[in-house]
Amino acid sequence: MSARPRSAALESFRSNPISLFGLALVAFCVLAAIFAPWVTPYPTHVGPIGDFAAINAAPSAKHWFGTDTIGRDIFTRVIFGYRLSLTMAVLVLAISVPIGVVLGLVAGYVGGWVEYVIMRLTDVFLAIPPLVLAMSIMGFLPPTLTNAMLAVTAMWWPWYTRLVYNVVRAEAREGYVLAAEVVGASVPHILFREILPNCVPPVLTKITLDIGFVVLMVASLSFLGLGVQPPTPDLGSMVADGAKYMPDAWWLTIFPALSIMVLVLGFNLLGDGLREAFDAEV
Amino acid sequence: MKGLTTALLASVTMLALSCATPAFAERVLRLDEAPIGEIDPAKGTDYADTVLSINIYDTLVYPKQGGPGVQPLLATEWSIDGLNYTFKLRDGVKFHSGNPLTAEDVVFSYNRLMALQQGFASLFQDRVASVEAVDPLTVKFTLKEAYAPFLAALVRLSVVDKALVMANLADGPHGEFKDYGSAYLSANDAGSGAYKVTGQNPQSETTMAKFDGYFLPFAENAPDTVRYRYGLEASTVRQLISRGEHDIADLWLPPEVIKAMVEEGSVHLALEPGATGEYIKLNTQRAPLDDVHCRLALTHAFDYETSNQLLKVNDEAALGVSMNGALPSGLLGHNPADPPFVKDMEKAKAELAQCKYKPGDYPLDIAWIAEVPARERVALLMQAAFTELGFTVNVTRTPWALVSEQVTQPPTAPHAVEIAVAAVTPDPDSLLFNMYSSTVPPTWMSAEHLKDDEVDKLLIAGRTETDEAKRGEIYSQLNKRLRDLAPAIFAYEFTGVYAVRNGVEVHNLKDATTRYSPASFSMLFKDISVNE
Repeated sequence: MSARPRSAALESFRSNPISLFGLALVAFCVLAAIFAPWVTPYPTHVGPIGDFAAINAAPSAKHWFGTDTIGRDIFTRVIFGYRLSLTMAVLVLAISVPIGVVLGLVAGYVGGWVEYVIMRLTDVFLAIPPLVLAMSIMGFLPPTLTNAMLAVTAMWWPWYTRLVYNVVRAEAREGYVLAAEVVGASVPHILFREILPNCVPPVLTKITLDIGFVVLMVASLSFLGLGVQPPTPDLGSMVADGAKYMPDAWWLTIFPALSIMVLVLGFNLLGDGLREAFDAEV
Repeated sequence: MKGLTTALLASVTMLALSCATPAFAERVLRLDEAPIGEIDPAKGTDYADTVLSINIYDTLVYPKQGGPGVQPLLATEWSIDGLNYTFKLRDGVKFHSGNPLTAEDVVFSYNRLMALQQGFASLFQDRVASVEAVDPLTVKFTLKEAYAPFLAALVRLSVVDKALVMANLADGPHGEFKDYGSAYLSANDAGSGAYKVTGQNPQSETTMAKFDGYFLPFAENAPDTVRYRYGLEASTVRQLISRGEHDIADLWLPPEVIKAMVEEGSVHLALEPGATGEYIKLNTQRAPLDDVHCRLALTHAFDYETSNQLLKVNDEAALGVSMNGALPSGLLGHNPADPPFVKDMEKAKAELAQCKYKPGDYPLDIAWIAEVPARERVALLMQAAFTELGFTVNVTRTPWALVSEQVTQPPTAPHAVEIAVAAVTPDPDSLLFNMYSSTVPPTWMSAEHLKDDEVDKLLIAGRTETDEAKRGEIYSQLNKRLRDLAPAIFAYEFTGVYAVRNGVEVHNLKDATTRYSPASFSMLFKDISVNE
């Protein structure tokens, strides 16, 4: 079943300039984040340090994005901010995707009261606006990086449960599942070896789209002062801290905000491209 | 067709013009502060609350213009006979309701403040034996023991309209006084001040109108209406003032923003120095700072010059000036001739050599208050200075609620944290006693946890001595002792810098002779001119 459709997907992806642009943006951000200590001009500006001679300096050849209110290089902090945002996004999804997928598989295939409990719980989580839920979780936890991550994770898994559940409901009536049942395959085998591979394309697409959303969510939490604490460079806090200096020291806010935009846009374009490619496969 | 258009256009223009120039031009003053705005004078404590209470209410005495001490307001004269303070009230003063203001109202206001136990009740707690109305225009306070700061504390006793409050009681625990008008006075005023409340929302805005029956004169072009807004963003304030839609900015704008407005030509600055110190409180109960030499080493190592540089708006104004002791200017005992603190690494190293601890063995914990981003700069300055001395320094951003709890536990509290403390009355006792008396239970104000017999003795002497000159001597001695003990790095004296829209004049902030200390007592709306 593999060779031809997969190359059709690849072909569709390759012939779509917008997806390729998304891929380029993502690659740029990811590489910059990975090699941050080597590609940034002032890697020490990530820590608790101030350069009081160069406070609020406008963008120049020395500081491409200017400096912040304690004289740190904003370009350096943006790149390290990418590092943090992407790490957070990967960790959040690495925890919430497996949970969501397994619950979705079980609910969709087993049915009965198990399905009822899992899906109603999912509905409860989905009924609350994600940012509000994260904020209320952060309300009674100290504002640390780990807690911000937990809060975002807690509200992310239900989306995957819902997605996989719907796929499983459709797949469970397919001939290959019935065949497996007839030959007496175990439930885990049917779930993970037969059905799961068919859930991969939509889940993969959603993960790509979601990285952008998780980045935004983490940025929103730290914009509200609930997420990452200084001096750790974080794009959301940088936007928030700079806001009161608008419009004079515009670079404090504009560059971190644009950087968030580039990252999120990249993942969205890439995600859209992947979805179209997988649709082409079908 | 063209004629018709022209006629239409002309009539529209006429209409617009007639709207723009009403029969008489109402003068509106628009200011802002951090929320919330509490208008009940028995509950408010912060900056905005004080500005509200001095404009809506009157007190027996008021801080003296241009110097330490008090001057008459509702009381025209007073006599002190041992523990008895007798005040003669001004005749003919009327509340906004039209009721006359009498000694009964003063007694009621005092009892109300003490019954509610909020706001500045602590200034009078366990001090006053009795308060009585001798006749309609004479009120007598009898103290339990000699307490010299009492007179100055009266600037915090706002007089409320007893008859009006009693007519508006809600259910409450105070017997015949029910809730003491607690609900009513948070939403309405019962004052005699120069402005009366016309609308109140503690989260967004208090609107006030000029009270024509006020007994003191108004400045020329004093505002007819005042809009005191809460919680505007710095960038919003900046935009509103540029467009001429706001008159006086709050005190919490970053210096860079104020500077940009000055350069744009839309504002001039009015300065309000005095009575507020920015103290980097050193934990004197935790090693290595329980050794005075280690503390002195830190005070000599701190970079006062860079700190001042960071507070600078332009060549004329800064958000702070150097201190030369524990007392900020404007208070009894402050000596302008003492030299200000400067960074001196030689002295710092010499002191450190005498300290019984080795800096490498004791990492220092520095906390900065999360709600005040500018404090991060000061924390980083400290870190740079102390690292130079050989200490390992951990800087932590801590929310205020947590800091105020941490500092009450001396063994684990941070080694250093910058906290602003303001004198709440024009008397040095209101600042120093709560900070440095070893008899006071630990609070954020006393985060140094200083225990020193001589300081305790001088603090008591300052309270019991009633002769002003001798008190001045006591407080300057105390100031010197605190300089030697270095319980804190006296980082700088806070200066309120108001960006005032051109065309508006705050006369009380013109210079040292026109100001009222402590902070915010100069912000009398009746003394502000809205010229255009």
